[in-house]
Order: sequence, then C-alpha cells, then structure tokens
Amino acid sequence: MFKILKSLSNSLGGKSAAKKQAAAAKPGSLLDKVNKGAPVAKPEAPKTPEELCGLDPKMDKDQVLAQLKLLFRRYNRSASSLDAQTRHQAEKMLDAIVQMREKHFGEI
Amino acid sequence: MAEYVGIDLGTTLSGLAYLKPDGNPEIVPNSDGERLTPSVVFFDSHEDVKLVGSAARDGGEPDRTIFQIKRYMDDPEHLVDIDGKKWTPAEISALILSKLKRDCSKICGDITEVVITVPANFNELARKSTIAAAEMAGMTVKRLVNEPTAAAVYYAHSQGVKGRVLVFDLGGGTLDTTILEVAGDQIKILTSEGARHLGGSNFDDILLEAYAEQYRKQTGTALYTDERHRRRVLQATEDAKKMLSKLQRVNDTVANDQNSGIARIDLTRVEFEAMIRHMLTRTVFLVEQAMDSVNLKPSDIDHVVLVGGSTRIPKVKQLLEKMFGKTPKSCGNVDECVALGAALFAKKSAKIQEVCNASYGTLAMIYNAKTGEEKLANSIVIPKNTPIPCSRSQVYQTSEDNERVIEVDITQGEDEDAKFIDVIGRITLEVPPNRPKGCEIAVTFSYDENQRVRALVVDKQSGRSKEVAVSYKGAGVLSPEELKRRSAHLRAMRIE
Ligand SMILES: Nc1ncnc2c1ncn2[C@@H]1O[C@H](COP(=O)(O)OP(=O)(O)O)[C@@H](O)[C@H]1O
Ligand SMILES: [Mg+2]
Repeated sequence: MFKILKSLSNSLGGKSAAKKQAAAAKPGSLLDKVNKGAPVAKPEAPKTPEELCGLDPKMDKDQVLAQLKLLFRRYNRSASSLDAQTRHQAEKMLDAIVQMREKHFGEI
Repeated sequence: MAEYVGIDLGTTLSGLAYLKPDGNPEIVPNSDGERLTPSVVFFDSHEDVKLVGSAARDGGEPDRTIFQIKRYMDDPEHLVDIDGKKWTPAEISALILSKLKRDCSKICGDITEVVITVPANFNELARKSTIAAAEMAGMTVKRLVNEPTAAAVYYAHSQGVKGRVLVFDLGGGTLDTTILEVAGDQIKILTSEGARHLGGSNFDDILLEAYAEQYRKQTGTALYTDERHRRRVLQATEDAKKMLSKLQRVNDTVANDQNSGIARIDLTRVEFEAMIRHMLTRTVFLVEQAMDSVNLKPSDIDHVVLVGGSTRIPKVKQLLEKMFGKTPKSCGNVDECVALGAALFAKKSAKIQEVCNASYGTLAMIYNAKTGEEKLANSIVIPKNTPIPCSRSQVYQTSEDNERVIEVDITQGEDEDAKFIDVIGRITLEVPPNRPKGCEIAVTFSYDENQRVRALVVDKQSGRSKEVAVSYKGAGVLSPEELKRRSAHLRAMRIE
C-alpha cells in the first residue's frame, strides 16, 4: 500500500486556519467532506438500530461484535465533541450500539 | 511549607493531599472540617463573597450556583454570566483551587507547587485551562497527571501490588479506565480510555425522570417547573441512589413547589439497575476497548481497582467481577485515592512511564495497490499508547506536478475514516518550482513527557523543513499578562 500526500492546496486554495470554517461551508471542499458528521444518522430517514449499526443478517457473531466495537470507539469519541449536533448524533448511535449488543449477546 | 502536594480537581468533589515526612500521603481537610470539598461555587448577591463547597451546594439560588464546571474546561465558548461579569471555566475552577489552597495551607503549611490530576482523555485546551486555574489561584503546576495513573500510584504504594492493573474510575461526570504494569515502585502505563458524560450524574438524571413520571401519575402535575426545584429533587434522587448502594429498597416522598400534593416513591435496587443498564453496558464497551487496544484478555489482568464514588454501586462491582472472574479491589476510600496518589506522584514522577494519549497523523490519499482504489484517510504517524517521550516518522509522496506549497494537515484520533478525527492544525511548506509528482516528504511527530506534541515536515529533495508545536492556541487560552492580572484580582477576593 502506498501512501500519497495529496495536494490539498487545490481544494482549499491556501486558506489560513482562521478561514477554515468558511472553507468548510463551501460545498465539495475537502474539509467539508472531512468534517461532516456521519451520514448514517440523517434525520429524514429513520432507521432501525440494525441499519444504524450497519449490521447484516449474514454477519456471524464475531463480525457483529467487531462492528459494534468499532462503532463504539468512533461514537464514544464523537460524544465528547464540542459540537452539540455531533454529540446528539453520537448519543443516538451509542444507544443503538448498546441495543444491538443486548440483542445479540444478552444483557449485562 | 508542604513540599509534595496533590490536588484532585474533580467534577463533583475536589481534594488535596500532601506527603507527610514518613512518605505517606494524607488528605488535608478544608476549614469546614470536610476531607473533600464539593466542586460547587456560589456567588452571593448580598455580600461580595464566593462560597465554595458544601455551603455553595446546599444554597438555594441556581442562577448563582455553578456545578460541574469541569465538564466545560475544553469549551472555549462556555462562559458563566454573574451580574454581567463573564467567568471562564478556568476562573471558576480557580475559585475552587483558591479555597483548597487557603484552607489547607493552615494545616499543612504554605502551598506553592502542586500536581493536579486530570482525566486521561482531557484535551490540550482543558489541560491548559487547568494549569491556568492553578496559576490564578497562586500555585505553580509542577505536573499534570492523569487521574487513573494517580489512583494506581496510590494503590501500588498502599497495597504493594505487582502485575497488570486495570483501574476503573467511575465518578460523577466521567468514566476513565487505565491499564498499567506495576513492578516495585516502577509503573508503566499501557493505555487509557475515557468516556465523557458517563457517570453518577447521568444516573441521578435518569432517576429524576422516574421521579417526575411517578409524580405525574400520582398527582397529574409536573414535579418541577423551575431550576431551583429541579435541583432540590435532583439532590433527593442522588440521596436515594446512594441508599440503594446499601439497601434493596428505598421509600421517598416528593412534592412540587406548587402545593399539588405529595407522591410516594417506592424504588428497588433491581429497578434502579434496570434504569442504568444501558449506561453500564457502555462501561463494558469501554473496558473492552482499553484491553483490545493493547491486545490483552481479561485473564491477563491481575488486579481490578475501583476508583470514584459511583463504583460503590453494587452492580458496577458485579459487572467487573463477572468480566474478570475476580473480585475488584478498592484502595480504601474510593473518592480520596486520586488526590493521595497525586501527592505521591509529586515525589515519584520519574518512576512512572506514560504513553501517548492520542494518535497523531496526517490526511493522505491512500492508494491500495491490490484494488487500485484511492481514498482520503487519516494516516497515523504516532499511534496512541506509544511510550513517551517518543518520535516517529512516515514518508509520503506528493501527488501533483509543479506543486509549490505542501500543506500537511495534522490529525488527532484513531479512526482511519477522516470523518471521525479532528484536524488540529496545518503545516505549510514552500518547495522549489518545476518538480514532478512523487517527491518524498517526511512527516515526523515527537511527543514529550508533558504530553506536548511537535510536528516536523521535511522535503527530502530540497532539504527544506518546518517544525511546529502542535498545541491549542485558539480561543480560551489566556495570555501570560492576562493571567497575571486575573490572578492578582482573585487574590483580593473573599472566598469561603
Ligand atoms: N454510595 C454511593 N452510591 C452510588 N453513587 C455514589 C455513592 N457515593 C458517591 N456516589 C456518586 O459518586 C459521584 C462522585 O464521585 P467522585 O469520584 O467524587 O466524582 P468526580 O471524580 O467526578 O468528582 C457522584 O455522582 C455521587 O453521587
Ligand atoms: Mg474523580
């Protein structure tokens, strides 16, 4: 696997850190893509906890647990974000993750 | 003068300990005769005085009472408005620290230099704010130490244990878990994980909802309509919660402040455990996350140590016992061991090996030679849990012809997916013209004992380089002059 440092100057046009937010607001900019919250929790499409956690009936127990652990790490981190929206979304995801753990592995 | 002093500046309770001449740490009580001081500040409207501690907590004016300020130490926008003056979280914390310093120095002698504890996952701004708070209170911070590390230092000192220890610290506001290795008085931290907003006050909130629901059922009205009364009921739910750590069942009566009658609350431990079960499942995830990140199984852990007031909940102990197949231990008083450990740490810091609290790296297009796919990802250069001090490099290639400026985004976080990490800075390096793509750029991160990070970018062909300290410099950090000014101001204040 190669690692390539892609030129970021094209997409961001040499903006200073102070202008980061303005850059983030521009559609299609790199930071925009990076900073956007998870697409999984869009409010317009209510999803089941399974869908939120990306669980597939074909997954075996180990795969389910691995997926839940990955999501827990991810959303536990977002739960301490300074952005209230991100935090709210993370809480919803954490609830779904816990529900799925209980469903597949029983209550603690 | 007290030479080795440790302070646990907690979300709910704060404590100060010093090292006695015999080498054992001791908690120093405040002037109200309490070993621990509630981390609550009250701004009186009649007299120019700030109350800190139990008196503040039990007073009745919610608009003028500040609880749990520690939850906001990393928020540059959080300001507390009292009579038109805006207080930062660091200034509120400084009031708490001032009380500890003033009260305790009457007993243990002058306090000038201290070790203060912080949650392992406290970020740079929160750490800086903590140091600023101490300076405003007239103390120099010798070192910050992570809370679970301090607890482990005390545990190792008082119990003389050996082997791998998992510290489980469930307090009022947060959960922290740390795995470390103890050999004699040498301590090696392996990893720390934390969860914000997971602690005793979440349990109180859950109980409060249950109380309100019961009240509505029995009287048809709302249990509280204003903050003042909500606070009162919250205190009652916290008391009930604590009772349930000892009893199987508690009975309580509650009323609102509108004379709508009294409701009887009947609550069993089993019901309470069911209410907080989801929160407790999160604690299991976090403990597993800590073990997974250092490839350990429950059977690899020799001792499980309980820290924090919420570990008095029997279900918490049972959970850990089930997970590890051994009874968790507590080092005496679970709310005091962090401060006691901090006092020990003040003397022994050299014997404690810590690790990076987070991963650092850069954003890069990652090319998968197998699939031919290319995607933007977080490329980690220095992984979390690397023992510090340390330094790591990674070489990247430029992807465009004729690039004049190389921009390196500095990331913090473990996720490969760039959506779930923070971009905390950027290094810009000018390079010579007319170069094809594929030029090599080395990115090096180094990490020192104080959890300070530096990043170095070197263009291999031209030898040009740039180095920066990766630190939070944005809003919320005071200039040294401003810090001095506020510190002088605070010293003249009446704080009791
Ligand atoms: N006997 C008990 N049972 C259940 N919870 C308790 C008990 N004693 C204290 N607590 C809870 O412990 C929390 C405070 O723990 P502490 O470790 O002092 O917190 P922090 O480090 O956040 O200041 C509070 O939420 C309190 O209600
Ligand atoms: Mg604590």
